Amino acid sequence: MTTAARTVEHVTCLGCGCACDDITVVVQRGRLTEAQRACALGAAWFGDGQVPDAVRIRGRAGTLERALGEATTLLRDAQRPLVYLAGDISCEVQRDAVAIADRLKGAIDSLAGTAASSVLGAQRRGRAGATLGELRQHAALVVFWGVDPEARYPRYNARYAIDPIGLVAAAGRRSRRVIAVDVGQGRGPADADGRVAIPPDAEVDALGAMRATLQGRSAGANGPLAPAIALVHEMTTARYVALVADAEPGPTPADPDRAEALIALAQVLNGPTRCALSMLRGGGNRAGADAVLTWQTGFPFAVDFGRGYPTYRPHADAAERLAGGEVDAALVIGAPATLPESVARGLGGVATVAIGPRASAAGWKPVVAVDTGVAGIHEGGTAFRMDDVPLPLRPALDGEDVRSAAATVRALRERLEAGA
Amino acid sequence: MTTPDRLRLTGATVYDPANGVDGVVRDVCIEGDRIVAELPAGAPRLDVHGMVVMPGGVDIHAHVAGSSVNHARRLLPEEHTADPVPAPRLADGPPPRSGTGGTVPSTFATGYRYAGLGYTTAMEAAVAPLAARHAHAELDDTPLIDSGFYVLLGNDDYLLRQIAAGELARARDYAGWLLGVTRAYAIKIVNPGGVAVWKDGGRNVGGVDDAVGSRAVTPRKILETLAAAAQALALPHPVHIHCNNLGQPGNAATTLESMRALAGRRAHFTHLQFHSYGGERGKRWTSAAKDVIEYVNGHPEVSVDVGQVMFGSATTVTADGPVEHLLYASSGRKWVNVDIELETGCGIVPYSYREKAAVAALQWAVGLELFLLAKDPWRVVLSTDHPNGGTFLSYPELIRLLMDRAYRDERLKGVNQKLLKSSVLLDGLTREYTLGEIAIVTRAGPARLLGLSQKGHLGPGADADVTVYAPDADRAKMFAAPRCVIKGGTLVVEEGQLRRAPAGARLAVRPDYDRAVTQDVKRFFDDYASVAFENYGAEP
Repeated sequence: MTTAARTVEHVTCLGCGCACDDITVVVQRGRLTEAQRACALGAAWFGDGQVPDAVRIRGRAGTLERALGEATTLLRDAQRPLVYLAGDISCEVQRDAVAIADRLKGAIDSLAGTAASSVLGAQRRGRAGATLGELRQHAALVVFWGVDPEARYPRYNARYAIDPIGLVAAAGRRSRRVIAVDVGQGRGPADADGRVAIPPDAEVDALGAMRATLQGRSAGANGPLAPAIALVHEMTTARYVALVADAEPGPTPADPDRAEALIALAQVLNGPTRCALSMLRGGGNRAGADAVLTWQTGFPFAVDFGRGYPTYRPHADAAERLAGGEVDAALVIGAPATLPESVARGLGGVATVAIGPRASAAGWKPVVAVDTGVAGIHEGGTAFRMDDVPLPLRPALDGEDVRSAAATVRALRERLEAGA
Repeated sequence: MTTPDRLRLTGATVYDPANGVDGVVRDVCIEGDRIVAELPAGAPRLDVHGMVVMPGGVDIHAHVAGSSVNHARRLLPEEHTADPVPAPRLADGPPPRSGTGGTVPSTFATGYRYAGLGYTTAMEAAVAPLAARHAHAELDDTPLIDSGFYVLLGNDDYLLRQIAAGELARARDYAGWLLGVTRAYAIKIVNPGGVAVWKDGGRNVGGVDDAVGSRAVTPRKILETLAAAAQALALPHPVHIHCNNLGQPGNAATTLESMRALAGRRAHFTHLQFHSYGGERGKRWTSAAKDVIEYVNGHPEVSVDVGQVMFGSATTVTADGPVEHLLYASSGRKWVNVDIELETGCGIVPYSYREKAAVAALQWAVGLELFLLAKDPWRVVLSTDHPNGGTFLSYPELIRLLMDRAYRDERLKGVNQKLLKSSVLLDGLTREYTLGEIAIVTRAGPARLLGLSQKGHLGPGADADVTVYAPDADRAKMFAAPRCVIKGGTLVVEEGQLRRAPAGARLAVRPDYDRAVTQDVKRFFDDYASVAFENYGAEP
């Protein structure tokens, strides 16, 4: 192994849904020593690139061959298997994972389900959106609805919505006006040019009143919703509005109707002006899981192949199924550390196979655990940004001796597809 | 049977218009994945006496893969729930996959259903360069059809800048670079300039001489620049154009202006039906099919596909964002709009065409008029702009409308007549397409227009893509369920059942261009793009 440092440029980070692809990674003695331009979340995501390399069968070390054999038997014998797509796997691995669920006539769900209310809202109404780079070109007014991207999407403002220059927004930040809408604990950016406060219990009403105003149905300019109505008037005077909200669950549970109300408002703003709603999504290539499931099955998450074809059970996602005793074996593909708490808890009660980064450290004690590399650090492929833009992954450590998730999942798929 | 390496199809009536064969009983010989002139006498035979044999179908324009199509899929869970597609029982080869149908089927179902119709090649008609990697991944999951896509360039900000600056050579080289880096097959223009205006906070352009940002940039200039680029880059398919003002009454004038702008230059005008209306915006609709198709008839450099409207469910999905906004505003249905940075737009509205609706009836009539008044079937391709005018599953019904006058007249009586006074259909167009002409408009013609010399015919050296139909007076029935389909030498449909689902090949071009352009493009990326120049495109 060479001791000289080498760098890999244009690396895509999956630390959050921003999927910044401008990271330069420095590698020395097989370790990542630096991730230049990465934010704190990104730096933590890259870490030093060291991952465990264990294969465990019922807690004991085993060979990959035996592990795959045990996994095949366990999954084949299951009556109600569940496949779960966790984070940090490429779309190529996700494609194989859906094939496995199809073969097993199992259920499949993914991290994309964390944003269920926004997905369901979009299925009812559609959406008025844009890729992130389009906000950069055109947005003259950026309204942060109850979110400051700083915490969970640290480079969103610097790379996309606010700071960079655009074709139309030629002076970058100075070309735009930024408004923070504070909804209780969910506060917009501290350095916004203007602020509007909306009580959390009036949020959906406020969005409805804003829409009604645009549709010429008077909502009254006085009372608690007056600031929201003043805001919507301001929005119509901007040439292009970006409305930014968080699609991931926050510290306080959001009203299930909130996402749909945001979508409806953004749609209606197209008429008096142009508006794009940007729903912030988490990392680990969850947007890829949504895309892959959609193209292979027609549904974005919570799919069940139990009848021999995909059916959609958006109100019975993985956590519900596990809690309801509807699952007798599970295959988790991806990093266990990325699982929602509710899913991880449920997995403790069933026999599981875990394949992915740090699978052997999974708290719920899988029957079979196979550690692999991390997509984007140890292996390549494709990942999707939160706005559905596909990006190539440039693994800085793909020459290192780390087990590939792609090869492992493919091997399991082939075993499951062989024979009956 | 398993697929033998050699196979002689015997006894069928063959329609192979590219080779001048119009309903002749003869053998078709296959060796490996190719058609051959002869096989030894002992080669395996498939007796298809009494059947009709044609080359595999070639869809020149459909929306089957990529980010817009996937947005449409995501929008339609109720359609997918209503149309499950269990995994087929395959004899061998890659394991079968289940899926869902509806107007925008899942990828595996798309491949299975195309093959089930006897189609073996399909071109995805509109891919944003930024999402090229996504489109390729979906096509990789779409078995049975050889496929490629057209890359969207008619509202591309870098391109518009070059036009504004008079840098036409650089525009050409940019197109060459973009086609290669996205692994695309042809240049697509959608509502030239109109989408850029929409994204910039405007409404749309109204005609080919409207300014797009700079006064030096107009739809006309975009059309001229890209048509010239396609020619200079020696692309196998000319520039593929969705004109301005889609779906608007009176838009035939724009369509004819666009055609005249490119007179003398090869150009393909797509879903012409949606661009052949007379009348006036906001006032009245009439058919202008006759005027438009007469121009096409008189100009051999022009080719078209029809984009027929079929009654029933559809999903409108297009890069033409402003048009979909109008449809959303007028229909109140669910609506997706995605502005795609520096490149294009995307709009989606689920829709249905009803016989009793006046405009839908007119659209239906306009499409049929275009077909029936066309003089040269080699330049007028059958399409529904799947899933915009109807799905590809409605092609057999469309073929019946073209081949069976009595049936067509009967259907005509059942539609809303309010706007049909202007339609020459009412004058009793007597034309009935022959099987030979159907073979042209569904395979030989599109293959030739795409420059796919190994597709759309059954001469020696052609790809062994062959469809066998059982003749039936009901042509819809005949074309809906081929008895047997061979794809690249593999017997994929036997006795009407899908039996194998091999992967298809990717059709892509790699034109030569002056590579100096990439330095300038990289500067533009560094200044404005949200993805690194080095991460752009779809190279493996």
